[in-house]
Amino acid sequence: MNTSFWAWFGIAIYIIIGIGIAILARRRMGAGISDFFLANRTLGGFVSCMTYSATTYSAFMMIGLAGLTYATGVGALGFELTYLCGIFMLVFFLPRFWLVGRKYGYVSPAELLTDRYQSRAVGATAAILALVFLVPYGAVQMMGVGYLMNGISGGAIPIFAGILIAFACALAWSRIAGMRSVAWTDAFQALVMIIISAVILGVVVHYLGGFGSFFDKLESTVSGQLTVPTSRGAWSINMFIGLALPWLFFCISNPQVSQRLFVPKSVTAMKQMLGGFFIFGLVYTLIAVLWGFSAVLLVPGLEKADMATPALLSQPFIPVALVIIVMVGITAAAISTIDSILLTLSSMWARDIHRGLINPEVSEARQLRIGQNWVIPIMAVIALIFAWWAAGKSGLSFMIAPLSSAASAGLLMAVPAIFGAFFWKGGTAAGALVSMIAGAIVVLVFQVTGLKPLGIWPGVWGAIVCTVLFFIISLVTKPPKEKAEEFMGYLKEKLTEGKFI
Amino acid sequence: MSKMGWVWIGFVFMLVVDAVIPWFALTHVQKMSGAFAFWLVWVVVAIAAAFVIVRNWREVK
Repeated sequence: MNTSFWAWFGIAIYIIIGIGIAILARRRMGAGISDFFLANRTLGGFVSCMTYSATTYSAFMMIGLAGLTYATGVGALGFELTYLCGIFMLVFFLPRFWLVGRKYGYVSPAELLTDRYQSRAVGATAAILALVFLVPYGAVQMMGVGYLMNGISGGAIPIFAGILIAFACALAWSRIAGMRSVAWTDAFQALVMIIISAVILGVVVHYLGGFGSFFDKLESTVSGQLTVPTSRGAWSINMFIGLALPWLFFCISNPQVSQRLFVPKSVTAMKQMLGGFFIFGLVYTLIAVLWGFSAVLLVPGLEKADMATPALLSQPFIPVALVIIVMVGITAAAISTIDSILLTLSSMWARDIHRGLINPEVSEARQLRIGQNWVIPIMAVIALIFAWWAAGKSGLSFMIAPLSSAASAGLLMAVPAIFGAFFWKGGTAAGALVSMIAGAIVVLVFQVTGLKPLGIWPGVWGAIVCTVLFFIISLVTKPPKEKAEEFMGYLKEKLTEGKFI
Repeated sequence: MSKMGWVWIGFVFMLVVDAVIPWFALTHVQKMSGAFAFWLVWVVVAIAAAFVIVRNWREVK
């Protein structure tokens, strides 16, 4: 039997196990919107850590980051570790999100902004920002699965079939039992992806003669890829800042991950979530980058850098069984991100757009039905169409890593408003609103036209514009003083009690 | 300055170092002991600092 058969077999087993876990999770699901979208804020440290890890790390890592390393060298490591360093900010934001989430019952991060700035328009704008910019991010996950299955099967599985499988699984996981099923399947998927990717790295490094020999070969054959900028000119400082800045704030700007800051059941669970994620992130980043470097040595000269991982896995010295398992692991990584995105977007539509703008009196049951029955399927189909379209394109802009960073560049525009919500009583709804809209327009226009004035990337221009606007407009408009005092007063008291900083 | 202020300053310092060292001090070091090793050590320091801070967290009512 050929690789293509085993690939289909592996996918079938994965889908059966995933559906089994999701159905089990459904049995534990209670009624109500908080249970569906946040697992009733009762996740333990391990599951919280795994769902945070699986949601954050996606096809972007093993396909995108490995491909970026293959194409541009060591700067890819710096770029991704800058993201991990950005997680350091959770020492400020994790307890704050968690505390106010419990106190005020926030379901989505946008709802937090609505309440803090006392403006439904602010929350709705943050939700629309997420709807616009998370679609390409969800789509690149589907593309990753498509590339992988196509590459491993030697073209027998069409890219679109892979995209379709990712679409169907994510749709099912997120519909079946909301956050609980997503979190449980995430935990399963995170374990699969990190263990198997480490095993494959071990096999490859062993084949190359051990780490010493592997590094020697890199230094002697592609030494120009070990510096920034590289000898081929990649990773100018502007490129680094342009890609890394949106990534740095990913942990608070991307609602599918910041929503997870609401779910740990206790401070101990929070600590385990953060500590576990740091370790998971460091190990997984190293593995992805070393995969990329391995591909440089073993399969040089690929036309499409995002095919580096599939090409590496097609090497004859890697046992077929391992290849199939790792394919399932990467597919799991991608799907665990897409289903989380779908769940978050559905909660934001139901809470922040439908309830916030369209019908403030809508019942919780109706919000849940709208999220489950309409938003999740519609957003999944839009992401599917985007993935289909983008998979046919080529060039740096359509590689998985830059496309992911471009999506985060748009979401970055909510960051000044988020900082203001927690740290500045003078922040106003008008400042938040204008900064998000103007910043997003700047990012969209620059991204669509390809403009980079002074060589600076769209996300950086957007960040400058939205930060300045948030500050200036807040200074000349009236803040919701009473709410700010109450919100920050509560935080101050609890932060002291929990010895947070 | 408050403890929070010092932690923010430390974080910003780490970010400055993140770019300055690889692009200026190590830009000609074409070895794994160059930017590759630097970024690994750098992020381990950041993670260790976070662990020290988080260690003090206590349950709240």
